[in-house]
Amino acid sequence: MATTPASVAVRPPGPLRRAVASDHVAGWMFVLPSVLLIVLFGLLPIIWGFVLSFQKAGLISPNRPFTGLANYERIASDPLARTAAVNAAYYSFLFVPTSIVLALFLAIALNRKVRLIRFYRLAVFIPVAVSTIATGIMFLWLFDKEFGLANYLLGKVGLGPFGYFDSPQGAMPALVVMTVWGWLGFDTIVYLAALQGVPRELIEAAAVDGAGRWSQFQHVVLPLLGPATLLLAVWSTISALQLFDEVYFVTHGGPLNRTFVPVFYIYRLAFTSSYGFAKAGYAAALAYVLFMVILVLTLIQFWLGSRVVHYSS
Amino acid sequence: MRRATLLICLVALVGAACTGGSSSGSSGGGPVTIVLWHGYGNVVTPQGQTNYEAKSLTDLVAEFNATHPDVRVKAIYVGSNDNALQKLTVALSGGKQPDITYQYGTSLAQLTDAPGILDLTDIVKGSGWNWNDFFPGEQAAATVNGRVLGIPALVDNLAIVYNKDLFDAAGLAYPTADWTWADFAAAAKKLTDPAKGQYGFAFPADASEDTVWHFDAMLWEAGGDILNADNTQATFNSDAGVEALTALQQMAVTDHSVLLDQQNTKIDNLFNSGHAGMVVTGPWALSSYPDVHYGVQIMPTFPGGNHQTISGPDMWVMFDNGDAKRQAALEFMQWFTSTQQVKADSMTSSHLPTRASVVALPGFVKAFGQKFTGEDVFAENLLNVKKARPTLGTYDQISQIMGSAIVSVLLGQSQPKEALDAAAAQVNQVLAQG
Repeated sequence: MATTPASVAVRPPGPLRRAVASDHVAGWMFVLPSVLLIVLFGLLPIIWGFVLSFQKAGLISPNRPFTGLANYERIASDPLARTAAVNAAYYSFLFVPTSIVLALFLAIALNRKVRLIRFYRLAVFIPVAVSTIATGIMFLWLFDKEFGLANYLLGKVGLGPFGYFDSPQGAMPALVVMTVWGWLGFDTIVYLAALQGVPRELIEAAAVDGAGRWSQFQHVVLPLLGPATLLLAVWSTISALQLFDEVYFVTHGGPLNRTFVPVFYIYRLAFTSSYGFAKAGYAAALAYVLFMVILVLTLIQFWLGSRVVHYSS
Repeated sequence: MRRATLLICLVALVGAACTGGSSSGSSGGGPVTIVLWHGYGNVVTPQGQTNYEAKSLTDLVAEFNATHPDVRVKAIYVGSNDNALQKLTVALSGGKQPDITYQYGTSLAQLTDAPGILDLTDIVKGSGWNWNDFFPGEQAAATVNGRVLGIPALVDNLAIVYNKDLFDAAGLAYPTADWTWADFAAAAKKLTDPAKGQYGFAFPADASEDTVWHFDAMLWEAGGDILNADNTQATFNSDAGVEALTALQQMAVTDHSVLLDQQNTKIDNLFNSGHAGMVVTGPWALSSYPDVHYGVQIMPTFPGGNHQTISGPDMWVMFDNGDAKRQAALEFMQWFTSTQQVKADSMTSSHLPTRASVVALPGFVKAFGQKFTGEDVFAENLLNVKKARPTLGTYDQISQIMGSAIVSVLLGQSQPKEALDAAAAQVNQVLAQG
């Protein structure tokens, strides 16, 4: 009996114990809570939504017959889906270039050694941290047709009054101004980081070769900002096509459907009965089409990027 | 979008926690616990003031619990009534529905297929319910395709609320009970002063149901109706409909005497700050006007028309969660909506009484008006509610179409006749599809 403990002690651990004790399993245990949440609130809805897109289904009634591709076929002839697509294209067309160009200017302005530079950088980034609802309330006041500060100041110089969110022509541009303001800080920080990654010796070398400031910027700095620009273009396009919060809170898709965008339509189809019942399946189909559009656009952007963008390494 | 996702997760978690808590008081030895969902808020507001709507409900529930030892009612505030249908949808898909829930009357038609919904048609015919004492408009709103699916919880109606000081300053006589919409428009024009940011009339123009029901009342006053009698054809594009919408167009587009609130967020603030001479609103809004001297008058009419108004009755909808709970819930609802409790609720919360017998009680209207200025006019105006909006599952779709048409006219983008005709064609399509 006395020899037994010794023999146990020298026996190597079994495969199970080895597996449990390995870094691999320990790592998974650490991320397990997040993984569970992602599966529960991310993966499962994605799969369920895919199944739903082939059904005629509401969210209340348990009766969900499969209808094949009918939901997808309907999209082509749905005038509201077309309105939403046109509005999304219009919004992206205004939002993406505006925010990227403005962010570049701001980043260059903030990439200098002047007094209070930290304060300026903070000021530019603060809108990103402000909740969409607060931003919405602020702009509703600012852009109020009758009592807003914007029309008051413009009135002083003899302009306006403009309708902004209340006018069919002005609502989308007003929405662009609001969202650009809200997200500009993020784009600026990305550019600022990229600018600070530009090696000094390259600029000095260009200066030695006789390049002026504009030439330095055009031929040295700008190409090195390529990866950041690609990132921002992809990121801004995705968020532009997924616009929802601001529309839901500020314009409700109006006036006259001029700010009616895809995700807002999907939300109303699935969770309200404004467009009839049992439209959750159709909403899911629209969501998947939107996903495919975003995927294709992103792939195109990466393909274009791979031909134009220089990576420094 | 990431914020939205996070919010949805949070709501889901909180929702799970709430329903989990509510279902815990299950049957066993003691009293039967039933759960009631409402949207009246908490008794003490975040600003530290008393919320009399919630207080009234809480007090009545406490009184019931004290006098009925075999039943325990748990009244739970589940957030704004605007989201009541969404909340119920989530609860239903998880099988965690409450025994009683407050719902907008317009949501009822969407709940016809809801699993476990209690069909009250035969129950309310029974003695003790006194069903015909509820106003006809309420009965109509509670009934979907001949099935009674709700018990009137709250009733309101629309009337003119006007700023007496602005009328005095403009040298105008106050609105009278025999006003026409032409009188209304003339007064609105005189009350408008762009330099002061002052408008004669403020109108909800967000194309929502709020826009539509304001129009519905005018349509009825002109002698028209939304759909035909068997709900198969749109009739709101009749001459009456065109007359009603033209009256609004005249004020909004020609006279510029209307502030069109396209987000539907600022009308009450504008009226309370003296920037709007008149609003057409319901009894709930009066508590938002502490800073102005206001008067209330019934709706204007059109030549040859009448002074009808519209009511949007909300409902208590019930779910069958087993015999014991169902019976307990019915016992509570019968007690809670009887004449005595309805009167008590009105005098505490300022809700209009849901029963005609309360309005008929000697001295009630006078006492009600003394306690809540202007509410007496709204209470008597209940008798001007003759019609109800159609209780159809497709109603929200119809409303959506009508709302867009009305707003497009008010924004000067189209003419009443063509806009209503186009909307009617769309509505007919919806009705044909069923």
